[in-house]
Amino acid sequence: MTTKDLIEKLGLKPLSKFEHRDINGVFVSDMLSDVMAGAKSGNIWLTVQTHKSIVPAANLVDVSAIIVTGGKDVPQETIDIASKYNIAILSTNLPTFELVGKLYGLGPLTK
Amino acid sequence: MSACQHRWEMTNIQFGFVVFEKCFHCNGLGIYFTAEDNPILGDKYRDGDCFWSRVENAQSFRFDLECIKCGHLEKFDDLMGLMHCTGCLPDCEVEIQQAGLEAERTWILVAFGFLHKDQRKLISQYKLDILTDYFNQRRDTSRSRMKIISFDLIKDLSMCRGDFIHDVGMLSPEPPTERKPLF
Repeated sequence: MTTKDLIEKLGLKPLSKFEHRDINGVFVSDMLSDVMAGAKSGNIWLTVQTHKSIVPAANLVDVSAIIVTGGKDVPQETIDIASKYNIAILSTNLPTFELVGKLYGLGPLTK
Repeated sequence: MSACQHRWEMTNIQFGFVVFEKCFHCNGLGIYFTAEDNPILGDKYRDGDCFWSRVENAQSFRFDLECIKCGHLEKFDDLMGLMHCTGCLPDCEVEIQQAGLEAERTWILVAFGFLHKDQRKLISQYKLDILTDYFNQRRDTSRSRMKIISFDLIKDLSMCRGDFIHDVGMLSPEPPTERKPLF
């Protein structure tokens, strides 16, 4: 599955400028240190954090997209940095738990 | 010298806090890692002529890297954190390097060692290269690469508005609207 497929299937709202890419898993955490230690290249990262420091953390571990859940407002500064680094920031009004349920329902993300 | 083309993996991961303390006598800054559950801000103690007070803490972690091929272990308990350059000083060497590497999609992070009193500890170039290798081994390098550089390239630390990849304010019921500069 790609970020493009995911946006279409789950009605996610793209906020930054980015190139679509493959997704190979899901990582859920609101802690940057957790992401740096555990997220894998190609994962999508679900969080309620919106501070600009989520972008360098996501870039460092090469996630496919950051999905900001719960309808949190993402500051323009965060979006601008993400666009510079070609990092997808996607937004949803769904709480993290519900989004995880929908992602689980989609089945394996990789073929 | 090892002939192994190391393939690094994070090991000995320990979550905790990076604590920033300031002396209100000499204005010195000390930074250290603690595995305490909840370091209390404002905690004060005297050490000789210095009066140290905890002014900030951030949830963070420390780790070592181990080669999965040969078992060589490289310790990184001297790494305080990685900082994202915000381009605040156009003539800073970090910003100059970032601008030069941007076209080839190589992104820079700045590695900081711990500070104790007035001593600034640099991470050796050997270890910076290992960190760079590790984070590139973790990513799809056909899309972009990482480069980890030393904080002594920052032109003026007191003016730097770079952003650490640390968790700040996670113990507070309300997230901070703005982060204070650390230096």
